[in-house]
Amino acid sequence: MIKELKILFAIVVIVLIGYYGIEDLAHHEMYGNIPKPDFNYLDLQYDIKEKGNPQNGENLFKQNCLSCHSLKVKNLKAMMDENTAMHAFNVVPPDLSNRANIVEEHFLFNFIKNPQNATKNPKFAMPPQPQLTDKQITDIVSFLKTVAKKDIQGEEIIEDACTRCHNIKYQKIEAHTNPENLKKYLGKIPPDLSLKGKSRDKEYLVAFINNPQTVLPGTSMPRLGLTKESTEKVVNYLEHIADPHKEERNKIGMWVLIYMLIGVILTYSWKKKIWKSLK
Amino acid sequence: MRFIDWLDERLEIRKLIKVSLTDYKVPKNINFLWSFGMLLVLTFAILFISGLFLLMYYKPDAKLAFDSVNKTIIMDVSYGWLFRHVHAVAASIVFLLMFIHIGRGIYYGSYKSPREIVWITGYILFILFAATAFTGYLLPWGQMSYWAAQTITTLFEKIPFIGPQLVIWLRGDYAVSDPTLTRFFALHVTLLPVLIMIVMGIHLYSVRIVGSNNEDGKPIDKKKEGVPFWPVFMSKEFFVMSVFLLFFFYLVFFKFDFAMDRVNFEPANPLQTPTHIYPEWYFLAFYEVLRGFFFSQNLGLIAFALSMVMILFLPWLDKSPTVSGKNRPLFQIAFWIFVIDVLVLTILGKLPPTGLYAWVGFFAALVFFGFFISLPIIARIEKKQLEGDKK
Amino acid sequence: MSEKKVSRRDFLLYAIGGWAAVGAGATLYAMYKTWEPLPEVKAAGIVEFDLATVKPGEVKVIEWRKKPVFILHRTPEMKEDCTKRTIKTSSGEYTVVIGICTHLGCIPNWEPENNIWHCPCHGGKYNACGINIFGPPPKPLYIPPFKLEGTKIVLGEEGPEYKQMVSG
Repeated sequence: MIKELKILFAIVVIVLIGYYGIEDLAHHEMYGNIPKPDFNYLDLQYDIKEKGNPQNGENLFKQNCLSCHSLKVKNLKAMMDENTAMHAFNVVPPDLSNRANIVEEHFLFNFIKNPQNATKNPKFAMPPQPQLTDKQITDIVSFLKTVAKKDIQGEEIIEDACTRCHNIKYQKIEAHTNPENLKKYLGKIPPDLSLKGKSRDKEYLVAFINNPQTVLPGTSMPRLGLTKESTEKVVNYLEHIADPHKEERNKIGMWVLIYMLIGVILTYSWKKKIWKSLK
Repeated sequence: MRFIDWLDERLEIRKLIKVSLTDYKVPKNINFLWSFGMLLVLTFAILFISGLFLLMYYKPDAKLAFDSVNKTIIMDVSYGWLFRHVHAVAASIVFLLMFIHIGRGIYYGSYKSPREIVWITGYILFILFAATAFTGYLLPWGQMSYWAAQTITTLFEKIPFIGPQLVIWLRGDYAVSDPTLTRFFALHVTLLPVLIMIVMGIHLYSVRIVGSNNEDGKPIDKKKEGVPFWPVFMSKEFFVMSVFLLFFFYLVFFKFDFAMDRVNFEPANPLQTPTHIYPEWYFLAFYEVLRGFFFSQNLGLIAFALSMVMILFLPWLDKSPTVSGKNRPLFQIAFWIFVIDVLVLTILGKLPPTGLYAWVGFFAALVFFGFFISLPIIARIEKKQLEGDKK
Repeated sequence: MSEKKVSRRDFLLYAIGGWAAVGAGATLYAMYKTWEPLPEVKAAGIVEFDLATVKPGEVKVIEWRKKPVFILHRTPEMKEDCTKRTIKTSSGEYTVVIGICTHLGCIPNWEPENNIWHCPCHGGKYNACGINIFGPPPKPLYIPPFKLEGTKIVLGEEGPEYKQMVSG
């Protein structure tokens, strides 16, 4: 008995060392250096200095943004329809209804000032807006903040931030922009997101969404400036759609383990009984 | 007439039960490591059944395979995820069981006369399982599937004269592609499992003839020292099985990641290699022997091929009259160095082959062969000692 | 078999047998469930169709659960009394039937000149209500379960009109 436990112990130790070496150690060596995300976007230089005026912002929005962007919450349609915009920019411009609650404020301000710099993507489709003063940008940001929905779900954020370029095939979501245009815009068709929650771990996804260039230098994915909360919601949603049976699995798993434990007890008592009669 | 009598008249069922179960005596002094054969049969059955249910929805077509596994089977089919997880985990665990089974065989000298046929059929089973695992790994058509098949088939390119032609013939294309997938599929679901079942039958039959080895390595007087296989040994076997299944289902439900690599949830892309590719854990040691000779590709390949067959020759390398390693102090040292070496090789196999790792890998690969070379020497020393004792 | 004879060993063996049977049952249940139609198949079991798109006198064939469904927009010339088999919407009166002959399962053809369905296999005939009027068919053409939503018909769901039709 003691001897068998010793053998078992030796096997368990060897297996655990192997498991640790292959999984934790090797994975850390290979994928370990994921940069820490920065949700304050501190590398961006311009600061919001004063409080914005939403009324002013609304007018400025109509004059400057509405040519390409719609604002569904206010029933404002873009002057350019989606198709024309897609052919002009090779990507569909987003509706801005909930933008200000998805994107971090400081980032948004810098983004309007200089999209290429903020997204770290020199080919980013939206042109810089030199005609706007800092005060005016602040007004637009504060206007967008007042219209944006507060409690926004992961699915809606994905719809808003990701599916203009990405397919999510298993959810029957197709990118809003044509593949040919995307190819012209980004150089290649962006990957499908159906299983990203499974093919990448959480830490990687968060860091990548936060700042694509630091994780995958040279990628054509722009930095979108999502807040910490939005990023987490997006990642949780991706994990959920990639592994929809997780809850069911855990529940059934518990029952199966309890069942097996009963089996262990039963078979052990039978074994003991039979071997006792031998002696 | 009772049904059992009716059957007995036609099939001699009573005699069969007697010969194979109740009168089949196994030594009493065998520990739970001798249950691993039955565990392997059990795991093979699990693989067979779960595979059958995967087969009902899997589509062996380069365009459809990935979605049929990751969408249809895992997401849409009721309990499809369960069969997929069970199959993947069992395919991985079957190698752990095999390694322990083989390790026990080496330690207690179970390969020695008269059990050579048991050893050879066991070795063939190992190769068949490796082939089944390799062909099966391609089927989900993910990035890891694809690049594992691509790199391993490329190894054949180095065979002199026929290599390059052989690789194209194996793949049915200039690179791994749809024809490769369909032929691997055919092998994985028909020929290989059938061969496994046949060889498994011979393996079990040959054990029934020569009997189980035991811890002391001495043949037993079956009438006095043996215990019947049923119910005595089976009672222990059932206990070991249920403990194993507890562990197995824990892995299936809560720790399946090790058997389902994240990278493989990216669809196969022939134009982009993943940043890191590595074989499944059970091939890592052999893979590291290949990489260990980092300065010469040809040497690495020869070493790799040798590492896969060395173990077959154990009965002829180790001619020591003492059977069980329990009574062989020198052999024990060699054995444990070998076990640690295989562990080191396995871990190194997944680490990047640079700097210190490369040299440790080279050294560990040499030690791997050192074990096999040391066996005849140890046997000779032990023979001399025995003769000395007699005098 | 007296109760005394059931020793502890036997009892344990029975318990193990029972325990294994539970596991086998659960496994069989999971296997049984894997053969159920997939979600997309189930979703295709419910088909929506706008009856207003069928012109008077015209027959349209749509697929529902791998079977053809005939949709006939009846005109006043079709004089049969179809009160119990009529689907009435603001756009007109319709006959909606599963287009499979009740005799041996062939698909009858619409003959617009006679306003009947004629089965090519054994010559069975059905009138514009889908009622068998000649030949071997033992029963009228079946009406699929439906639900009305305005001029739209939803096949595969049982609405009040369908239930009334079945009970009447």
